Amino acid sequence: MEQTLRRNPALRAWLLIAPAGLFLLIFFILPLFIVIIYGFLERGTYGGVVWQFTAENFSRVFDSLYFSTFLRSLYIAVLTTLFCILVGYPLAYFMTSRPPRQRNLLLLLLMIPFWTNFLIRTYAWLTLLRTNTGLINVTLMNLGIIKEPLPLFGNDFAIVLGLVYGWLPVAVLPMYASLDRLDRSLVEAARDLYASGGQVFRRVIWPLSLPGVVAGSMLVFIPSLGAFVTPAILGGGKSLMIGNVISNQFLAAHDWPFGSALSTLMMVIMLFATLLYFRSTALKAKEERA
Amino acid sequence: MPNTIAVELRDVVKAFGSVVAVDNLSLSIPDGEFFSLLGPSGCGKTTTLRMIAGFEMPTSGEIDIAGEAQGYRPAHRRPVNTVFQHYALFPHMTVYDNVAFGLQMQKVDKSAIARRVAESLDLVQLNGMDKRRPKQLSGGQQQRVALARALINRPKVLLLDEPLGALDLKLRKEMQVELKTLQQEVGITFIYVTHDQEEALTMSDRIAVMDQGRVQQLGVPEDIYERPVSRFVADFIGETNFLHCMVMQTAPRGEVELAGGIRVPVSWIREGISPGSQALLSLRPEKINLFELSDTYPTGPDSAVVHGHVERLVYVGTDTHHTIKLDNGATVIARVQNFHVEEEPWEIGEEVIVQWDAAHARVFRE
Repeated sequence: MEQTLRRNPALRAWLLIAPAGLFLLIFFILPLFIVIIYGFLERGTYGGVVWQFTAENFSRVFDSLYFSTFLRSLYIAVLTTLFCILVGYPLAYFMTSRPPRQRNLLLLLLMIPFWTNFLIRTYAWLTLLRTNTGLINVTLMNLGIIKEPLPLFGNDFAIVLGLVYGWLPVAVLPMYASLDRLDRSLVEAARDLYASGGQVFRRVIWPLSLPGVVAGSMLVFIPSLGAFVTPAILGGGKSLMIGNVISNQFLAAHDWPFGSALSTLMMVIMLFATLLYFRSTALKAKEERA
Repeated sequence: MPNTIAVELRDVVKAFGSVVAVDNLSLSIPDGEFFSLLGPSGCGKTTTLRMIAGFEMPTSGEIDIAGEAQGYRPAHRRPVNTVFQHYALFPHMTVYDNVAFGLQMQKVDKSAIARRVAESLDLVQLNGMDKRRPKQLSGGQQQRVALARALINRPKVLLLDEPLGALDLKLRKEMQVELKTLQQEVGITFIYVTHDQEEALTMSDRIAVMDQGRVQQLGVPEDIYERPVSRFVADFIGETNFLHCMVMQTAPRGEVELAGGIRVPVSWIREGISPGSQALLSLRPEKINLFELSDTYPTGPDSAVVHGHVERLVYVGTDTHHTIKLDNGATVIARVQNFHVEEEPWEIGEEVIVQWDAAHARVFRE
């Protein structure tokens, strides 16, 4: 057995990927195909599907109701991504400027929220933001700073806040990595060549950390676009995103085929976004090598 | 024309916490000089350079560049440019944009930039490379881009931080000559930091040998090599033999006693060493002459003579290193140039007369 393996590196490689490959095949690729196929079938009365081919589900996707929900989701995802960069980039920069020991501590602090269940963390925001009983509004009203409660809950603001909070660490990590790799002597070289602080940033730091920014953006944008828990809790049932529409199709409307069609479309869009990202970073890398 | 001063440091101290990197340093470097700061790592040479560049601010003391006090002026407002140890070329820019960077920052107009970039690339023999990226260039070419990028700004002073350290030996030797030629061509003051004593000796007009944040000796290369003033300098620059001795007299002429009661004349005894105290005699290996017992050898008041036996021979091409065990127990190494290949070499264990002139023997504190 051992001898066969030693003489056959291809077999060895296959053995190594077999567990993961098998797992992904059964629990990822197969269900994925089921979703895609369901999208082309007719709905059963109490959920499930009727094995009758139709393309109607996909044409319904472009119904103005769903399309506007999709646009809103896009808007929220873009806003979330933007804020994650605006808040995360300076944080990442600050972290790289610390001595190594402090850096590790900061990284640890950044990751701590991940040790708590995402659902619980989102509910925690609920107690802070709720309109009449939320901690923020109650405090501000008791202090007499405001008379009417602020609209902190059940709107896009709450959703974006919740998403930025949830995904910020994920955005910071790749930006931190690319800033950390940045050779500090390049900054000094630019300084030495008469560049002011702003010019150093625009001409050297930003372009060289851009791959990290792009990676961070993708890591935030994709899950934000498909977000489901955050809008369900912080959107107050009024402010919905495409993820909630999909879950409703399966759980409330018993329209599995339409839910599948929406899911398939989302997947295609995200796939394109990822491809675009890989192409842009690959291009950049190629340019640098060329 | 009177020599104006390009860079002047007065009582400069730099402390990082409780560590003093530069300890009360004063230097005066005239215009157009090729000046080297030479020393082992951690001696404060790079910190000194970084303070002149404006990357570090002195804890106390003052730095003048071209007669102007710099105070806390930041790097981008100083009339100096730096060639960094690993070049620090901008990887996302072409050679052209790298070289043009300084002029772009100073808002020089585009046509003037184009002309001066062409001139600069010409100066370092990189014509036609302007569209390449740093990664597509060899180490030597990157080095030249770094030089062009700094020199295009016509700085008052060019600061170089071990710029040849990353090159292989042959290329390094070529670049040494080229750098020196370039410096004479452009007439800019070069302040060159290196730990490579040969590099410093080859290129510099003057050298400051540094250790522990202080200048140990300042002088022209010949002074530094031939007339070291301390054990550290003699040891750090080139190779040397150290022999324990006791100082017998300092005036009218120096004389020391080696182990075994052998008295030898010396040309120089470090100030403050009084007769009767223990000291260290330093002697360069190439200043030692070896004679067979039957040979006639120089005698007289300025000649030191000790008997010994050949212990080991190491052939290194241009010369052979002879390890000699002296009769008093000490060991010296003598470098003898290989003039005549057909000559009979010394044999191990053969008795030998070791002779040197007092002029080459210098005495330091232990």
